[in-house]
Amino acid sequence: MVRVVCFVNQFFGQLGGEDKAGVEPDAVSGAVGAARAVQQALGDAGSVVATLRCGDNYAAEQPEAAIARMVALVAGHQPDLLVAGPAFQAGRYGVACGELCAAVQNQLGIPAVTGMHEENPGADLYRRQVYIVRTGADSARMLDEARRIVALGLKLVRREAIGSPASDGYFPRGITRNTPVAETAAERATAMLLAKLSGRAVTSEVPLPTFAAVPAPPRVGDMRRATIALVTDGGLVPRGNPDNIEPLAATRFGAYEIAGLAELDPARYDNVHRGYDTTYVKQDPHRLVPVDVARELERAGAVGKLHEVVYSTTGVATTLAHSQRMGREIALKLKAADVTGVILTST
Amino acid sequence: MRLTLEWSDVGEIRAAATTRFSESALEIDVDGLGAQLAEDSRLERVRIDLVHPGEPCRIGRVFDVFAPRAKVEGGPDFPGILGALDRAGSGRTRALAGVAVVVTDQEARSPATLALIDMSGPGAALTEFARCHHVVVSAWPAANAGRSEYLAATRLAGLKAAVHLARASADRAPDRVEVFDLPPPTRVPAALQHLPRVAYVFQIHSHQRPTGIDEGILYGDPVRRMLPTLVHPNEVLDGAVVRGFMGRNSTTHAIQNHRVIRALFAQHGQALWFAGVVLTVAQATEPERVRSAAMAAGLVADVLGADGAIFTKIGGGAPHVDMAQAAAWCEALGIKTTLVVEDMSTDGSSEGMLLFNFPGLDALVNVGGSQESLALPAVSRVVGADDLLPAFQGPLSTTYSSVCGAIEQTGASRLVAVVQ
Repeated sequence: MVRVVCFVNQFFGQLGGEDKAGVEPDAVSGAVGAARAVQQALGDAGSVVATLRCGDNYAAEQPEAAIARMVALVAGHQPDLLVAGPAFQAGRYGVACGELCAAVQNQLGIPAVTGMHEENPGADLYRRQVYIVRTGADSARMLDEARRIVALGLKLVRREAIGSPASDGYFPRGITRNTPVAETAAERATAMLLAKLSGRAVTSEVPLPTFAAVPAPPRVGDMRRATIALVTDGGLVPRGNPDNIEPLAATRFGAYEIAGLAELDPARYDNVHRGYDTTYVKQDPHRLVPVDVARELERAGAVGKLHEVVYSTTGVATTLAHSQRMGREIALKLKAADVTGVILTST
Repeated sequence: MRLTLEWSDVGEIRAAATTRFSESALEIDVDGLGAQLAEDSRLERVRIDLVHPGEPCRIGRVFDVFAPRAKVEGGPDFPGILGALDRAGSGRTRALAGVAVVVTDQEARSPATLALIDMSGPGAALTEFARCHHVVVSAWPAANAGRSEYLAATRLAGLKAAVHLARASADRAPDRVEVFDLPPPTRVPAALQHLPRVAYVFQIHSHQRPTGIDEGILYGDPVRRMLPTLVHPNEVLDGAVVRGFMGRNSTTHAIQNHRVIRALFAQHGQALWFAGVVLTVAQATEPERVRSAAMAAGLVADVLGADGAIFTKIGGGAPHVDMAQAAAWCEALGIKTTLVVEDMSTDGSSEGMLLFNFPGLDALVNVGGSQESLALPAVSRVVGADDLLPAFQGPLSTTYSSVCGAIEQTGASRLVAVVQ
């Protein structure tokens, strides 16, 4: 018998409406309010041992205290599963459901599942961390939706394979999993092309990227008074790779002094990038990081000053998260050094 | 151009004094074949092992896999690489089903680049290579042989073995016959001119790792500065193209049985007209990349007159972008495209799956992600990787990229990376 704790807000916990939105968390024995739908969906498979309730405003206004108290209440009942909501389109409730599920999973190691409408802000905030079943905007189909939430929750408890977001009805978590299919990629590609040629809609097997556009920076202005830095993701390192920059999937970048150097001596530099043929940049590092020409421009007065530190990493199979972090860190250092412009060489 | 593949089904393989068929069993003169392969002065010695489907066996250090083929009419075997230079793709070729030649690399030092084939268990479910018998050829380099000489000799040994085996079926009535018959792209019968014309753009190598002079890929040419090149699909199926030394996630076997070419032939004359194949390489520098993309698109649009094109890539991230750039150029010319991509994410997040974002490239098929972790159980027999015992016997904690044939970039993959 699977032990389940449910979480509901003041409204679905039958405490009252907006006038009760400030109530503090409590736990009552058994299934109360909307938790009764969860009990009904569980049938003989499990039992709702307690229902947690918390007012929407209390959870929204002091989230840390609210979540800490509710995690402690959940722990006290030693459940196998937490079912939060469903929150439908109720924003404060949805965020509380997502946050509580994430905290219970992470802090107690207890599986958690919730449900909400796609426009609930909690869906976007928590779908990566928490299984969130897609529901309608209101409680019109609550029992049916509770059944889907419970079905997914029981799979988590029993450590059964979770199906696709479409088949199990949850919001995609953004995690990829290799899955066997009957047809070869070639057969699928041919069918997809024939569909596209005949004007039928096709479903791409890779979600199309939604990268935010990077606005072009303003012009540097007077280059004769500018400080220009050289930055590369092409893998330049001093011989011996002192910072141990990874040849691919980098998490680190190096900062290399060029003060007093008119050019880069190929004997003192190496290249650890594993994503392109580095023969030519090893022969002459200026093909990647043009210190020689930059110094000439500096001497001629065409560029005010060359920044005396070159930043370098390897841009190959680097995760988006690490790329963004390293970019931010390098930008902050350049900003602190009053650099006006950057020549970024990529490969 | 018309090519007939005359297939014999092999139900069993066993060592014997002569290489010949006995009913559906292929008897192999293992000692004689080994001695023949060892005649190459770049090799010190050669060992041959026989491996069977369902065996608790792991083949390690897999370098490449070859489909047994022997020409009986229409030119030499693997022209420019094994046989004299001639054209491939017409006449009759003997082919064996149910058996393959696996060649191992006894020199590779980095365990990260080693591929394996599990003949049973969960790893076997991921690759079609688990479902055929294998003649595993392991060769060790002669003292004076350099790395690329060793690999060239090893690959040649695999091709010789593939021809040797298929040759045994020459005086036998084939079990099945497959005909690939496609006229020049200009000669479409009037009754079929309404069909959409579809081209295939096949990236055969990535110059992320440049080829040496003995790394023949197209009719023996190392494709160093190859510009987009038109070929007949039969040439690809019949030994004109072999995989380079480091084709990540593809094999010569997959090229000999090319799934995209077969899928287009299967629909040819019915739902589409197969307009031809454009071979490309992924280039090392920006001007080369742009030139290649522009010319490939030009061949597809203005020479083949295609309405649609399928693209595949070989290798890692840069080839992924090369392919997309050529496809984007096609879309800009009004050609509909579908791309076969690998899930390129290194942390399992869906944001990292794709390395490009061009308008119009909205029809993407994926062959799975090679970085996903994979646990393989222990096996009782290891072939081709004696030096890695006992660790290689398992259990192994590895990734999908290590299973030869699982994440197959030219279209044979039966895995798909699904966003969950």
